[in-house]
Amino acid sequence: MDAVEKANAERQKRWIKDQKVGEGTYAVVYRGHEASTGKKIAIKKIKVGQFKDGLDMSAIREVKYLRELHHQNIIALFDVFSSKTNLNLVLEFLDADLELIIKDRSIVFLPADIKSWLAMTLRGLEFCHRNWVLHRDLKPNNLLIASDGQLKIADFGLARDFADPGYKMTCQVITRWYRPPELLFGSRYYSTAVDIWSVGCIFAELMLRIPYLPGESDVDQLRTTFRALGTPTEEDWPGHTKLPHYVAVGQFPKPPLRDLFTAATADALNLLSKCLIYEPRKRISARDALNHPYFFALPNPTNPAKLPKSASQLAPRPLEEVDGNVDPSGSAAAPGTKAAGTAARLKRKASVSEAETRAVARRLDFTLSSSQRSP
Amino acid sequence: MAVDDNRRVPLYEGSTQYRNWRFSPDKLQETRSSLNAAAVAGIRKAFEADSAVPRTRQPGSSANVSFLTPEEENLLVKLYIGKISQLCGLFKFSEEVEATAITYLKRFYLKNTVMDWHPKNVMLTALFLATKTTNHPISLEFYASHIPKTTPSDVLDLEFLVAQSLGFEFSVWHAHRALWGLWLDIQTLPDISITTLSQVQEIALQQIRASRLTDAELIYTPSQIALACLSLASSDLAKQWAESKGSLSVLAIVENIQQLIAGEGTDPEVEAVREVDKRLRLCKNPEKVPGSKAYLAKKAEEEATALARRSKKADDVKKAMEAGDPFGDELGMREGALDDDD
Ligand SMILES: Nc1ncnc2c1ncn2[C@@H]1O[C@H](COP(=O)(O)OP(=O)(O)OP(=O)(O)O)[C@@H](O)[C@H]1O
Ligand SMILES: [Mg+2]
Repeated sequence: MDAVEKANAERQKRWIKDQKVGEGTYAVVYRGHEASTGKKIAIKKIKVGQFKDGLDMSAIREVKYLRELHHQNIIALFDVFSSKTNLNLVLEFLDADLELIIKDRSIVFLPADIKSWLAMTLRGLEFCHRNWVLHRDLKPNNLLIASDGQLKIADFGLARDFADPGYKMTCQVITRWYRPPELLFGSRYYSTAVDIWSVGCIFAELMLRIPYLPGESDVDQLRTTFRALGTPTEEDWPGHTKLPHYVAVGQFPKPPLRDLFTAATADALNLLSKCLIYEPRKRISARDALNHPYFFALPNPTNPAKLPKSASQLAPRPLEEVDGNVDPSGSAAAPGTKAAGTAARLKRKASVSEAETRAVARRLDFTLSSSQRSP
Repeated sequence: MAVDDNRRVPLYEGSTQYRNWRFSPDKLQETRSSLNAAAVAGIRKAFEADSAVPRTRQPGSSANVSFLTPEEENLLVKLYIGKISQLCGLFKFSEEVEATAITYLKRFYLKNTVMDWHPKNVMLTALFLATKTTNHPISLEFYASHIPKTTPSDVLDLEFLVAQSLGFEFSVWHAHRALWGLWLDIQTLPDISITTLSQVQEIALQQIRASRLTDAELIYTPSQIALACLSLASSDLAKQWAESKGSLSVLAIVENIQQLIAGEGTDPEVEAVREVDKRLRLCKNPEKVPGSKAYLAKKAEEEATALARRSKKADDVKKAMEAGDPFGDELGMREGALDDDD
């Protein structure tokens, strides 16, 4: 056997597959463990033989970026090995995602919880952006939650680097509901701001408990967006009518965010509005967002270990999950209407004393290391 | 050191390139020698297996085969680095694709030997893989049809092996990018004449390209190589820059890189390579030659192992099921256990 094959066989032996836990578009995911330590892991098995162009781009991107990005809020890739025609990624085992938690009606979010999840998302994202990586598919379903409450950005199958300024990129990225207007208008030169828009949509969804901008088609997505945030003017967003796929979808006034997000603090709404600025260059960066007063005002973000968990987190997860591009059961009232806000105002089931304990949870550490600080 | 945008430097130091693909010159030589020695020993054995009559008793037996030396292997790899550049010209691939494919080819031969895998095929696969990892994918059909005597499967057959040899570490930090950063930095220096600058930059980039024919990227950081190339184009400018950073000491390293580029940064002599390639035909590993006895024997051995593994799995499941319900309701377990394509 070649040295390379031998090394691969050694790697393969380190990891034991236990049980199938899920299936994505191009992969089957198993729960497993490390042979020597028993540490729980996930094995994502990607079938490669089926692609006529060989190793497919999603797998390549996922491996390429996860190999380099080591951060508390980014899913850890422990190992990669191949088996016949499959590529196996050995990942940190994460038993829930934010979508599951948002949809679990039995739990109520405290403002401090939302702050904590948002902070962890932004920290992972800031690290990606600092490494010149765009994620391009942020949505609650791709924000996984570890058993210790840490949030991890996952699914780098659409990621790419953007070190080359002015390089043309595809606008067919990001699940529709989280896709910024510049992509809907077909912009081919975009940057980190696209991910920030998605974060804004996720932030809103955490407060509303239903997707904020659920468009039914690409054009409807624009309409839904403008209905919620007002149709952009030339002054708001210079040049947007010149973008390749520009269409006029109607003139909507800009309603105050306060009308929908009745329970949010002024700081929260200010940060939200900065994530959802139309002009991409004016949209807040992940770094600046982390330094926004929202994160320094009370309440302090909940300690991740004390964040609410979904009951279904312990049971095996459903194999089919609602795709962001489809209408989710149509249960809740359409966003953009005031009724949606009631979900956010529901009282948490947890006892008062627990809520109080959680409220004094240790403040998250926002200090950036010296390297992060240097210009 | 800090030639790149300051914020990138610590990131580079966390990269797989920094951690896994930098060597001292001695370590490089040692790696290549031991790979070469292991290959020679293995191939000798395979030659014996490939012949009904022990080769040692025949003229032309493995005892008489003149195997390639590590230096000769390297010479052949170097020839194919040049071929990558030619192909990139043909396809109009970007500098990024070209540099990445070259890095892949070099890294591949720190894990494999030319006598097992001929660089022509590996080069084609490395280049195709690089188009994907740098996010410039093209269809395999198109790619193969534009390269003489090449089918899609020639490219694809080695893709897994190449990816594995790279440790699935696809991200590469390049000197030409570092040069760009250095470039932006230099323009902020006082008393710089912009007119001479563009000429200097062009020469520096030529030197970067020459450096790709050497081991520089396996020994030095992209910023060090970039500074060396700048220095080859204009030593004054390089010195001025180093002074402005208060790091004149870097110029000593730069000196070594310059010598490396000057000594090794040219295409190998065709005649010398031709002779090596001719000998390679006689000493390549028969296990890697489809159809040969050794190849078939190896395949049969692999299949037997796989079969044994599969039937053991099936057996385990059967035993477990007979023993009651050891997996509880974990339906997926049975599926997983019987999943024989892994
Ligand atoms: N690290 C992990 N730990 C535990 N379970 C996981 C992990 N990663 C994925 N899963 C489970 O496997 C399922 C499939 O994951 P995968 O990332 O392949 O696809 P997906 O995100 O659900 O869908 P898509 O491929 O369309 O994005 C997930 O829905 C989840 O239930
Ligand atoms: Mg996903």
